[in-house]
Amino acid sequence: MAVLKTLLYLLVYPGLLFLFVYSTFCEWYDRKLYARFQNRMGPTHTGRWGLLQPIADFVKLMAKEDIVPEMADKRLFTLLPIFSLAIVLTAGLLLPVWFIDAAAVPMISFPGDIIVLLYLLSLPTLVFFLAGWSSTNPFSTIGGTRVLTMLFGYEVPLFMAVLSPAILANSWRLAEIAQFYQKKPILILPNLLGFVIAVICVQAKLERTPFDIPHAETEIVGGTFTEYSGKKLAFFRLMTDIELVVSSGLVATVFLGGFPGGLWLGLLNFIVKTLFVIFFLSLIRALTSRIRVDQVVSFAWKILAPLAVLQLFIVILFKGWVL
Amino acid sequence: MTDLDIIEITQSRLGDKAAEIANPAPRRIFITVEPQNLVAVVDGLKKEIGLWYLAAISGVDLGDHFEILYHFGHDNGSLTVRTRIPRAQPQVESLSPVIPGAVLYERELQDMFGIIINHIPDARPLVLPDGWPAGNFPLRKDWTHERTPEIIPGGKK
Amino acid sequence: MKFTIPIGPQHPALKEPISLRMTVEGEVIRDADIRLGYNHRGLEKLAEQKNWIQNIYLTERICGICSHSHATCYVQGVEKLMEIEAPKRGLYIRYLVAELERIHSHLLWLGVAGHEAGFDSFFMYTWRDREVVMDLLEMISGNRVHYAINTLGGVRRDLDEGQIKKILDGLVVLKKRSEYYFKLAVSEPTFVARLAGVGFLSKESAMELCAVGPTARASNVPRDVRKDDPHAVYDEVPFEVCTADSCDVLGRAVVRIKELFESYKISEFLVKNLPPGEIAVKAPKKAKPNEVLSRYEAPRGENTHYIKSNGTDKPERLKVRAPTLANYPATVVMLKNGFIADIPLIFAAIDPCICCAERTVALVEARTGEEKIVSFSALRSLARRGGHHLASKRNAVWPF
Repeated sequence: MAVLKTLLYLLVYPGLLFLFVYSTFCEWYDRKLYARFQNRMGPTHTGRWGLLQPIADFVKLMAKEDIVPEMADKRLFTLLPIFSLAIVLTAGLLLPVWFIDAAAVPMISFPGDIIVLLYLLSLPTLVFFLAGWSSTNPFSTIGGTRVLTMLFGYEVPLFMAVLSPAILANSWRLAEIAQFYQKKPILILPNLLGFVIAVICVQAKLERTPFDIPHAETEIVGGTFTEYSGKKLAFFRLMTDIELVVSSGLVATVFLGGFPGGLWLGLLNFIVKTLFVIFFLSLIRALTSRIRVDQVVSFAWKILAPLAVLQLFIVILFKGWVL
Repeated sequence: MTDLDIIEITQSRLGDKAAEIANPAPRRIFITVEPQNLVAVVDGLKKEIGLWYLAAISGVDLGDHFEILYHFGHDNGSLTVRTRIPRAQPQVESLSPVIPGAVLYERELQDMFGIIINHIPDARPLVLPDGWPAGNFPLRKDWTHERTPEIIPGGKK
Repeated sequence: MKFTIPIGPQHPALKEPISLRMTVEGEVIRDADIRLGYNHRGLEKLAEQKNWIQNIYLTERICGICSHSHATCYVQGVEKLMEIEAPKRGLYIRYLVAELERIHSHLLWLGVAGHEAGFDSFFMYTWRDREVVMDLLEMISGNRVHYAINTLGGVRRDLDEGQIKKILDGLVVLKKRSEYYFKLAVSEPTFVARLAGVGFLSKESAMELCAVGPTARASNVPRDVRKDDPHAVYDEVPFEVCTADSCDVLGRAVVRIKELFESYKISEFLVKNLPPGEIAVKAPKKAKPNEVLSRYEAPRGENTHYIKSNGTDKPERLKVRAPTLANYPATVVMLKNGFIADIPLIFAAIDPCICCAERTVALVEARTGEEKIVSFSALRSLARRGGHHLASKRNAVWPF
């Protein structure tokens, strides 16, 4: 029974199948919002309201020819998409979607899993760099260096912003943080600044405008993904979608109070809260233009990092005086 | 400065070098010079009337000689300096020391007419493809191209 | 560590093939080289074999965006050669279409600049407004792109009351939206941060390298053919030359938006003061031997046609110098010491219309004297040789 439950957890919900279906839904939601902001229609043709469009894109990419450049490191080139997909799927398992009693299944929720989740989410950046490097294409190399340069910018503010609610809740465990904020929702307010910083940093991690410099289409063709095609590109794109879901899930867990209510109500909570965060991500994407990589780093260190420190300070003061 | 002012200044300061000055229409002045005086006249015009803007360089194939026209523009119209060089020895000095922006037009002139421009800073062909056979100057009147008959694979011969 | 990046001939940033070879060190460009010639079509030689009327349609097809500028410049010159004068009403309609084309071209450029900067929402909005102008042009001339409204001696179609009212309504809508874009271009922080300081061209360099159009006007060089050399109606219409003194891409964007407002003013004036009368006079078939230099302010800069006739019904020489060709040396100077990220912006800021800039003979093979039947695959390989320095996916020789 426990084995069956584990398999269900890993493969169906919130594992592979759920993340796959839900991430395509989130991509549709993002594309539709982006298009409506721009006075366009967005996907309308495939499925009702274009809902099946991301799945159609995935299937089309899987059917295309897969070309590996001759000078590329073939094993690395082929392994990287699979590896990155595995990373984000594992990260997705750590979200406290199904409120399993902490004592019963210790492998899902443990003290410090917020750090593990953040670590797993910064691995894809290294994968992007390796993908760019192993393609041996000048455009991919430039994309790879840009990815790492951006990492120097947004990682620190993201970590600080996400850890400040954890400090307030006195725990390093996602399930407990979520429980803490469910009991006292008013305590979300001191973390508002952190919420804003976390949303901006998540936008940078996912490489969306204004931070989509690593794969800027008009400058370096495809950036790190220039040489990828066919199944590998399909996996990379699926990986970015799932990363979107997992990051917004992380932000929703830590800042918006998690997903209480067992199976069905918890699922509804998950959908509503992640869509709320993705709404903000789409809004930023539609309203800004791309900035240069040196401007990203200077913006992150001159504005975001001090604000994140300020947020930590607020949380510590609050904890000392009020609680 | 009006047309008459320009004609007067040109005649008085550069009269010995400018062979013929014509004003066929309002705001259009045409000055004919000998090829060896070309750079001196343009330099003089730049100093006297502040003529810095070269609009284009046109080449015309007139049979036994080429005519090169340098079209300049100023605040009140345009001024063209023209010169003739013999077809047997098509050579002229480059204007780039005086007007740096002339280099692209001169490269095009070299490609299309086969006129050799001395002291040009960059002599690479500008508009013709890399594998273009040498000695083919497309804008000369004697260069024609017969369209090769199209062969449709699998069609009628 | 320096290495060379090829931008083009095929690249998402370029709307037309051109090859820029940049030597870069990290993210900074050390040297730039422009190679032209990918878009030749042999128009100057072809023009010598077609008669005066056929050449109007030939010059129109030099470019899609500035088609009317080439046709108008040509027709202006030939009318002088034939010593005929078009009636006032015809001239007003001709230049009304010219100003509408300028509006459409500047809106297109704003969208392209937004897209190159990554600001796709701006791109979508300006191109939506461009539809308003294209509908007006379709109403006037019947075509959205190559208007074919010029003829020797005037224009081919007339405007009636209903059309005039629609034009004025359309201009009102566009004016309101352009004010919004002006506010956006100068106050949206990420957009301004992206464009400011990029592609610097000092006033002296602009004058030395003979830059034209908004590229020069943004470096505070007030050169506009409509003021310097007013042809036909421009000495009766009140307007101002728009300049900016920031010498960078942001200045060029501001100059183009200001020119949009001037064009609205001019179009309104032309429509409201349309004189009654004929729209065209009959033109002779042959022109006396003469030569003429025709200048016109296209949306991108000064367009120069030099036409020479020899008494027959075909021109002896038609020389076209399109504005983008004049801006290439300035582009090379602007690219040096810039960032790679700025390449598409700098290149887009001169508003490249590469098909305008290359019209001379471009036949891929001609062996003098011999007639050779060339197979399609050989033609293809010759065409591809222009891009052979670009790495193909299978066997690349990488620069490191």
